[in-house]
Amino acid sequence: MIMHTPIMMTTLISLTLPIFATLISPYKKRSYPDYVKTTVMCAFITSLPSTTLFILLNQETTIWSWHWMMTQTLDLTLSFKLDYFSMMFIPIALFVTWSIMEFSLWYMNSDPNINQFFKYLLIFLTAMLILVTANNLFQFFIGWEGVGIMSFLLISWWHARTDANTAAIQAILYNRIGDIGLILAMTWFLLHYNSWDLQQMLALNSNSNSLPLVGLLLAAAGKSAQFGLHPWLPSAMEGPTPVSALLHSSTMVIAGVFLLIRFHPLMETNTMIQNLTLCLGATTTLFTAICALTQNDIKKIVAFSTSSQLGLMMVTIGINQPYLAFLHICTHAFFKAMLFMCSGSIIHNLNNEQDIRKMGGLFKTMPLTSTSMIIGNLALTGMPFLTGFYSKDLIIEATNTSYTNAWALFITLIATSLTSAYSTRTILLTLTGHPRFPALTNINENNPALLNPIKRLTMGSVITGFLITSNIPPTSPPQPMMPFYLKLSALCATALGFLAALDLTLMTNKLKMKNPSQVFKFSNMLGYFPTTIHRTIPYQNLLMSQNLALLLLDSTWLEKSMPKTISQAHITASMTMTTQKGMIKLYSLSFLIPLTLALFLMM
Amino acid sequence: MNPLAQPIIYTTMITGTLITTLSSHWFLAWVGLEMNMLAFIPILMKKTNPRSTEAAIKYFLMQSTASMVLMMAIISNNLLSGCWTTTSYINQPPSLMMMTALAMKLGMAPFHFWVPEVTQGTPLTSGLLLLTWQKLAPISIMYQIHPSINIHILLTLSTLSTAMGSWGGLNQTQLRKILGYSSITHMGWMMMTLVYNPMTTIFYLTIYIILTTTMFLTLNLSSSTTTLMLSRTWNKSTHLAPLMAPILMSLGGLPPLTGFLPKWIIIQELTMNNSFLIPSIMTIMTLLNLYFYMRLIYTTSLTLFPTSNNTKMTWQLENTKPMPLIPPLIITSTLLLPISPLLLTFH
Repeated sequence: MIMHTPIMMTTLISLTLPIFATLISPYKKRSYPDYVKTTVMCAFITSLPSTTLFILLNQETTIWSWHWMMTQTLDLTLSFKLDYFSMMFIPIALFVTWSIMEFSLWYMNSDPNINQFFKYLLIFLTAMLILVTANNLFQFFIGWEGVGIMSFLLISWWHARTDANTAAIQAILYNRIGDIGLILAMTWFLLHYNSWDLQQMLALNSNSNSLPLVGLLLAAAGKSAQFGLHPWLPSAMEGPTPVSALLHSSTMVIAGVFLLIRFHPLMETNTMIQNLTLCLGATTTLFTAICALTQNDIKKIVAFSTSSQLGLMMVTIGINQPYLAFLHICTHAFFKAMLFMCSGSIIHNLNNEQDIRKMGGLFKTMPLTSTSMIIGNLALTGMPFLTGFYSKDLIIEATNTSYTNAWALFITLIATSLTSAYSTRTILLTLTGHPRFPALTNINENNPALLNPIKRLTMGSVITGFLITSNIPPTSPPQPMMPFYLKLSALCATALGFLAALDLTLMTNKLKMKNPSQVFKFSNMLGYFPTTIHRTIPYQNLLMSQNLALLLLDSTWLEKSMPKTISQAHITASMTMTTQKGMIKLYSLSFLIPLTLALFLMM
Repeated sequence: MNPLAQPIIYTTMITGTLITTLSSHWFLAWVGLEMNMLAFIPILMKKTNPRSTEAAIKYFLMQSTASMVLMMAIISNNLLSGCWTTTSYINQPPSLMMMTALAMKLGMAPFHFWVPEVTQGTPLTSGLLLLTWQKLAPISIMYQIHPSINIHILLTLSTLSTAMGSWGGLNQTQLRKILGYSSITHMGWMMMTLVYNPMTTIFYLTIYIILTTTMFLTLNLSSSTTTLMLSRTWNKSTHLAPLMAPILMSLGGLPPLTGFLPKWIIIQELTMNNSFLIPSIMTIMTLLNLYFYMRLIYTTSLTLFPTSNNTKMTWQLENTKPMPLIPPLIITSTLLLPISPLLLTFH
C-alpha cells in the first residue's frame, strides 16, 4: 500500500495551517513564532516516514487532484509529483527551515514584527514546496514566482534602509530576466507539446530542440545567480541572517538548478545546451570564488561561496550528472545554512559587526559557534568523509573523467582550491588572533534557541552525506576506475588552497599594508560587473534619451539645423566682409589678381 | 564750392557722360570717361574735410586704374582686329579686360571695396550723383560690347556682387554705406541679363536711378546720415516717416511696388534661357538687402527711439530746405507696377 502519499500531503497541508491562523487571534500573540516553529518541526517529523517508505519501496507517485481549468487543448490540474527529487528534498528543506526558525527566535527576538517575519518565512517555505512538488509547469511557475515575491519581501525586511530596498528590487529584476526564459520555455512547450505536464514533456523527447532548453537555462541562470545575472545574490545579504540562511543558501537559489534537474531527460541528448551549462557554471564558480577572496563582509563571503557552489551544480548538470547535482543540493543545504547561522551568531554577539577585519579571537569566547563554523567550512571544502565530500568529491571525479570541455574542468579545479582559500581566510580572521572588536562586549551563546539549531545542523553536516549516499536508490552509476592522481585531484587542490591561504595570512599580517593592486581591485569590486551594468549602461541610456528627447528634436532639428545655422552663417559672412582696413593697396590688388587670373584661365 | 566753378564742373561731368554714350570711336569713349571722372572729383570734395579728401583720392585711384586697363583693352583690340568702332565684335582677351575695368568703374564685386567708403566720405548729394549719374557711362559701354562678353565671368561677377552687397550691408548703421552696398547689389542684378536681353539692363538702371534718387533726396531732407538720425524723422517731418517704408520696400524689390518689376523681368529673362539656379541664389541673397531696409523702416516709422525730454517739436517749424521732386519721385518709385506693360514695350 502506498502510505507515503497521504502522509506527505498531510505534511504539506499542515504547513498552511499557521498561515490561515493569521486570520484569527493567534497571530497577535507572542507565542505565534514558537507555534510556527513547532508546526514546521512536526511537518518534518511527519515527512520522515514518508521519505523512508519511498526509499524502501521506490515507488514514485503523482497526485492529480482538483481540476483547475480545462480549455480546448489544455487541461490544468493541481498535481503533485512525489518522485525521488521531491521526496528527498522535502525532509531536508523542512529540517533546515525548522532549525532556521528556531534560530530566528533568538536572532529576531527584539523585532516588533516578529510574527510577520515568521509568517513570511512560512509562506516562502510553502511556495518552495509547491515548486519542488509541481507536476506541471503552471504550478511550478506559481512556486517560482512565490519564492521570488517572498525573497523581495524578506530582503527588504528593514525597509527603511535604502540599500535593502535597492537590493530587493535588484533581486526582483534579475529574477525577472530569468523569468523571460521560463515563460519562453513554457510557451514553446505549450505550442509544440500541447501540455505542461512533466510526464508528457519528458516522454516526447523526439529530437533535441534548443529553444526551450535555452529558456530553461536562462531561468536557471536568473534564479540561481549564474554569471551575468549574479549581482543580486551578494546584494541580498541586506536581509536578516535567517533570510540569507534559508532563501539564499539552501532553498530559493537552488530552484534554478532544480528546474534543470527536472528536465534532465531533455538535456541528455542536446550537447549544445550541455556545453552552455558547463561553461556558464564553470565561469560562475571561478568568478565568484575570485570575488570572495577579497570581501570583508562575512555574509558576503558566504554569499559568494553559495554562488560558487551553485556554479558547481551547474557544472555537474553540464556533464550530464543530474543526480549528483541533486545530491550536492541536499548536502550543501546543511552546511551552508549552518555557516549563515554561525555568522548570525557572531554578528549579533559582536553588536552587529559584520566586517571580518574587526573580528578576531572568537575561538575562545564563542566555542560552539566557532567549532560549528570550522566544521561547516571543512564540509564546504570537501574534507574527506564529512558531508560535502560525498557530493563534491564525486562531482570533481566525474568532471575529471568526463569527455568534455577541458577548460571548464580546469577552472572548476581552480575554484575548488579558491574555496578552501577563502574559507581559511574567514576562519583565520574571525576566530583566531587577537580580538579587533571593541572591548566592552556582551558575548554569550547560552541561549538554547541559538545553540540547538547549530548543533543539529552540525550533526547534519557531519553525518548526512554518509546517510544519504548509503540509503538512496541507485541513480546514475559513478565512474569506477580512474588514475590515482585524478582521484586525489580534488583533495590536492583543496589542500593547496588551504596551505597557501594559511601561509599568506600568517606571514603577512604584520606587514605594512600596500596600496591595492589591480587584481585586488578586480576581485574586490566584483569584477566591476555591478559598476558597469548597474551604473554605466543605465547612465548612457538616460543620457542618450535626454539627448534624443530634448536636444535632437527641439534644439537641433527645429532650431539649429536651419534657422540658427543660416543666421549665424550670414552674420559671420557679413562680419568678415565689413571688417575692412581701408587700404588702397588691397583694393588695387583685388583688381589685379582676378584680372590676371581670368586672363590666364580663359586664354 | 565756388559758385563760379560750379557750372563748369557740372557741365564737364554731364558732357563727359554724353561723349561716352554718343561716341562710336573707342578713343572718344575713353576720353568721355576720363572727363567725367576728373570733373567729379571736386564734386566729391564739396565739403573740405579730410574724410572727403580721402574719399576723393580713393575714387580717383580706383577709377583711373580702371580707365588705364580699359585703354589697354582698346589698344589690344585694335592690335588684334584693327577696329576702332565700339559696335563691332571684340576679341576675347580685350573683352575680358574691358569687362573687368568697367566692372571696377561700376563698383561690382570683387572690385567693390571702394564704393561704401567713397559714398560715406561725401555729402548726400555727391553720393547721389556717385551712385546714379556715374553708372550711366560705363553701362552704356557695356551695352555696346554685350555680344562679346564672356558670360561665365559676367555671371560670376553678378552673383558675387549680389552676395557681397547683401552681406556687407548687414553690418552697417551709416545710411550712406547702406546705400553704397545696395548699389553694389543692384549692379549685380543689372549685369545678369546683359548677355540675354540688354534692354532689361537699361530698364533696371532706369528704375534703380529713380529709386535711389528718391531715397537720397528723402534722406537729404532731414539731413540724416546715420540710423539714429533717421529715427528722428518723425520729429522733423512727420509725413515723411511713414513714406520711407514704401520707398525702402520698393528698393528691396517687394511686390506690388515698382522695385519688384525690374527684378521680375530679369528673373523671367534668365528662366527663359534655362537658368534656374542663379536667379534663385540671387533672389535669396537679395532678401538680406530687404532685411536691412526693414531695419531702417523699423527705426523710422515702426518704433519711437528714446529721445530727451526737451526735444523741440521741429515739425512745427517751417521747413526751409528745398524739396525738389520728392513727391513725384515717391509716387514713381512705388506705384509704377500697374502700368508695367507700357514700360516694357521693348520686350
